Order: sequence, then C-alpha cells, then structure tokens
Amino acid sequence: MKFFRSKQQASACDKMTLSQARPGRLFRVKALEGTCCSRLRQMGFCEAMEVRKLSDGQNMLCTLCGTKLALNRKLADQILVTPA
Amino acid sequence: MSTGSPQLLVALVGNPNAGKTTLFNSLTGQNQKVGNYSGVTVSRKSGEFRTPHGVKVELIDLPGCYSLEPQSADEKVTHDVLCGEQDEQAKPDLTICVVDASALERHLHLALEVIALGHPVVLALNMVDLAEAQGIHLDPTILSEELGVPIVPIQANKHKGLIELKQALGTPLPRPASPKWNTRGNADERQQQRTKFIKEICNEAARREDDGTLTLTDRLDSFLLAPVTGWITLIAVMYAVFWTIFSLSSYPMDFIEGSFASLGDWVASAMPEGDLNDLLVEGIIGGLSGTLVFLPQIVILFFFIALMEASGYMARAAILMDRVMNLVGLSGKSFLPLLSSHACAIPGVMATRTIDSAKERLITILIAPWMSCSARLPVYTLLITMLLPLASSFTQAMVMLAVYFTGIITALIAARILKGRIAEDETPSHFMLELPPYRLPQPGYLARHIVDRAYAFLKRAGSIILALCIILWALETYPKPAEDSPAAENASLALEQSYMGQIGHVIEPVFKPLGYDWRTSTAVVMSFAAREVFKSSLQVTYNVSEELDEGQADTLLHEKLAKATWPDGSKIYTPATLLSLLVFFIYALQCLPTSAVVARETNSYKWAIGQLVGMSAFAYVAALVVFQVASIFLK
Repeated sequence: MKFFRSKQQASACDKMTLSQARPGRLFRVKALEGTCCSRLRQMGFCEAMEVRKLSDGQNMLCTLCGTKLALNRKLADQILVTPA
Repeated sequence: MSTGSPQLLVALVGNPNAGKTTLFNSLTGQNQKVGNYSGVTVSRKSGEFRTPHGVKVELIDLPGCYSLEPQSADEKVTHDVLCGEQDEQAKPDLTICVVDASALERHLHLALEVIALGHPVVLALNMVDLAEAQGIHLDPTILSEELGVPIVPIQANKHKGLIELKQALGTPLPRPASPKWNTRGNADERQQQRTKFIKEICNEAARREDDGTLTLTDRLDSFLLAPVTGWITLIAVMYAVFWTIFSLSSYPMDFIEGSFASLGDWVASAMPEGDLNDLLVEGIIGGLSGTLVFLPQIVILFFFIALMEASGYMARAAILMDRVMNLVGLSGKSFLPLLSSHACAIPGVMATRTIDSAKERLITILIAPWMSCSARLPVYTLLITMLLPLASSFTQAMVMLAVYFTGIITALIAARILKGRIAEDETPSHFMLELPPYRLPQPGYLARHIVDRAYAFLKRAGSIILALCIILWALETYPKPAEDSPAAENASLALEQSYMGQIGHVIEPVFKPLGYDWRTSTAVVMSFAAREVFKSSLQVTYNVSEELDEGQADTLLHEKLAKATWPDGSKIYTPATLLSLLVFFIYALQCLPTSAVVARETNSYKWAIGQLVGMSAFAYVAALVVFQVASIFLK
C-alpha cells in the first residue's frame, strides 16, 4: 500500500521524469504525460510498473518487466517516476 | 471438416505481441475466413477446428488490445464482441485470453478485465519457454487458483500445449470465475486494484529473479554500448564482415568458376556441334556461371546478418547508429533495413515495417536501393579487376569499399534532402528499441536461415536468370546468317547482324556519351531485369571475338573485355568507361522485384515509379559526368 500513499503526497520530487532520474536505481512509473503515451503503454510503461534505469545518454537503457529497452530522451521525458 | 454448424463460439483476446495470431493460426490451420464487422473497417477473422471430444468450435480472432476501456476502433470491437454488444455477432460462449508468460505483469491487466466480465474464460499462458529462459518461475496451479480460471501453458509457435488447450474448451464449459480482487469503483480505482492484485499473484506464481545484480547481458552492454569501446567494436565487426565477404569468398568462387568452365568444355566436346550444344555451353552454362559464382558471397553476407540478429548484437548496433542516423533525419531503426539491403533490397524494404514513423519508413525505403546489394557484386568485381588489373587484392578491396561508401553516403545525403520534402507524421515518434538478451546463436537456426537464402538465390538463378540467359543467347544467335554471306564465316559480323546486334545498335547512341559500346549498352539494358545478367550478357556477347582463336575460348571474361576495341581500334574499356559503369551500377535501380515490393510496401505506384525513374536518371547523369570528366584527366 506504500505506493498509494506516496501518490497522494504531492511533493517537489513528484515531477521527476525518467530522464532526470539517476541511473542504477529502481523507479516506479507514476504517470505518463505527452504525445507518445499510448506507444509507451504498448511497450509496457504502464502506471505502477517498476523500471530500473541502467544508463543515461541520448538513448538511455532501462529494464522493465524483465525486458531491456533503449529509450530516446524525448520519450523518457514523458515518463514521470518516483523512487521505488 | 466444414460440415454442420459450430457448436461452440470461442473468442480469442490478448495484448498485441502476446502471440494471439500465432495461436489462432496453429489452432485453425487453413480453415480461416476474413470479413468485416458491420459499420467498422476492422477485419473479423474466424476459423474452425474440433476439440478432442469432437465438439466443433468456431474461433474468432479479436483485435489485439491493452484494455477493455476502448481507445481505438480495434479495441472497441473487442469490447463489444465480448459483451455481446456487437451487431450481427453472437456473444461468445467462451473466451480464450492469451498472455505472454514472460511479461505477465503487463498482460494480466487485460486478462483480469476479461475475467471480471463474468464469462467462462480459459487463460492460455503463451511463451512459457521464453519466460523460463528469463529466469521466471511460473506456477500455473497457483495462478489458476488465484484467478479462478483454467490455465494452459502453451508454446503457440512450436505447437506445444494445443491439445491441452482444446481439451480445456470441452464441455462442460469452465464456470465463470468470481474475482478475488476488488472490481468496484471507477476506472482508475479498478486499475489500481488490478495492479495490486497482479503484483501479489506475480510474486507467488511468476517469481522473477531481478535483484538488481547485473546479468552477463548488462555487463556486455556496458562495454558494447559505451561510446568508445562500442564504436570500436562496431567498426571492427563491420570490417570483419566485409573483409570476409571479399577475401575469404574467393576460394569457393574460384572453384565454382573453374567447375563451370570445365563443365562447359566437357559438354562442348561430348555433344555433336549444333544449336543445342551452343545453347547449353554459351547460353546456359556460360550465363549461369556468371551468376552462380556469387553464391558464396551471398551466403557469407546473410550468415553475418543472421548471426548479428540471433546473437542480439543487431539491436546494439542500431542503438549506436541511431546518432549517425539522427543527423540525416532517420533513427537507429533504419539501420537493420539498410544493412539488410546490402544483401538484397527486398528483405531490406520489408524490414522497414518495424519503423514507427511513416515518414522515416518512406525515406528508408526510398534510399535502400542505393545500398549496394549482392547482385551488384558480380559487376563491381568484374569492373574493379579490369580497372586495376595489377593492383594487390588489398587495394582492390579498398576500391570496393569506396564504391560501397559512395552509395551509402549519397543515400544519406538523399535522406537529408528528402527529410524536408516529405510530410511530417501526425504524432511524433521517438526511438525506442527492445534489447534482447545476448544469446549463443543456435547453429540450426543459422543453417536454416542460410539454406533458405541460398535456395532463394538458386531458385532465382534457375528461373528468371536462366530464362534471361536463354533469351540473350537466342537474341545473339538468330537470325542465322545465310550460308554464303560473309557473316557466316565471321562470327563477330554474325553477332552484329543478330537481333541483339540490331537492338544494341539502336540503343548505342543513348549510352555512347557514357562510353559504352553496343554490347555493353545491351548488357546494361538487360540488367534492368536483374543486375546479375550484366555479366552473363557480356559473357554471351563477348564470347565471339575476332582476336580469339579456338584455344583461347575459355579465357576469363575480363581478359576478353580488356582486348575489346571500338571500330577505330581504340580500347572500349578505358578507365573512364569502367568508372562510368561503376557509377551507373551504384545508382541505377535495376531490379524490377524491388520496385514491385516498394509499390506494395508504400501502397503506391507513385513512389515506386518515381524511385525507379529518379534513381536511373541520376545514375545516367552521374555516369555521364564521370565519363566525360575522367576522359579528360585519364587520357
């Protein structure tokens, strides 16, 4: 139930996107914002999914649901995350 | 099997990529019908099969969707059919929900929604092999108890578990489950409840070994995707691929060429002289050897592409290339199509289907034929050997590399120019790519892939190219000169009087500014049907040459060409002509099958014809400029 509480506590770090997040850590997808939402959902970036960011860069690497993905910065900007 | 009306109506639902269509195909085999739902342009696919109990089942394949809260037309149909709200479509008796066992967290969302509808549901747990390979411990019994529906583990692509799945459909139907999760509240609350429940059951029934430790794949990636080491590796890999193609392949190629030459000699001496002997030796054996000799290079190229794909390196190469591609408005997704185009533009054009952006896809299709395909290798090899007859094989390989890069760089410049001229996509799309774990490629897979490719090549050589060889031979042999005419004694005069000679002389003026004589012009025109024919055509026409006596009949083609002269005695194949031919073959789109595939993939003849005319016109102009400029400097 930790997840539901943290969602209600609106704080400054709430607005962190996956591209701002630090590599090497585990995050939880909080919301999707932008033009590519449906495409991201198709690839599995649904709300409440856990995602581990592996590296930074123009194309960042992350693992989601056991799948490794390379993701353009512009897409990662549309994924809001919180530390898991 | 089609007698009597079905006793059971079953609907098939699942996320896209859950293997729904594979399952549909393996369940129904050939008994499929495709129609439309009334009012919407979403196709309705249905098929029939029988369960082991003899119950006849009609299976409807519903459009793949992520949720029953419809967003697109496809998803609305799925929702309406399952709820019995679709016109002219009876409500299904039972629903098979297909989920990807390796991504249960994602796929169970839809399954829970379907179960919550309160109809009989059977859950097909697909790709169990893949899930286990990823270290997921599946427990179908717990999953079945928690969800309250029968669960059948299957591998739809390998036809495993299908009997069990059919048995699970048997009468009596499974009872509708009473959901163990909270199904009240608004859409958002329901989604949260589902997420929570999925997390719980996945913890128990599909434990994933992800404790944050780096896998071998992660460690390899940190080396292979790092800015410096990644690029060094990629360049080394590409260099190794092309080096192998050009140097290692010479041994089997010499062998094939030699075998054909001795076969031709043997046939020529073993058969009585006459038209048939001539057709076999000059037309078929001579013509086909020009094409078949490239089998080793094609096999090697496809071997490397298959190796890169099967090992998982191809996706990494695409990520590295993404930056380069960005410069010309393409993304890393264009890399695989363009690399495949070096083997053959047809699979290259088809591989563009994975590109999300319509604009990027179109640009990739349009420039793909400028990647030098394997059919051009015969021509390049011939021309470069003649251009630098005394150079070492290393220098020749470097020239070959330069030829390839000429094509690639022009293509990228063209992409850049096209970028501003083609309509933008409605929604922007950005690069995103799944990175499969590194795997040791299965030798069986590689072997099958290569055998398929080699077979396709041989089939092409045995059909289109064989037919063209016979036509070429007939054109150069007939009409036969009259018994007492001067041409009967002089083979080259006879050739000039043949149909091919007549055609050649008609088109010669068009290609004369490029430095080609009538035989070369004919070969160039013929090669618009298939590029390989260029060499075969020269082989056929230059076989008759006045300087050669009987004993020299089997000298290599490039030696014959080197001796060829214009009527005034000057050489035809000067360096300027050879350069001009090289340039022409880099740019001309001489491949009708490619144009057909482009028309199909772009859904428009406009693009295909525009590409054909544009590229060929560009080739002509470029070859003209090269010949005229080179004639001044290389005198």
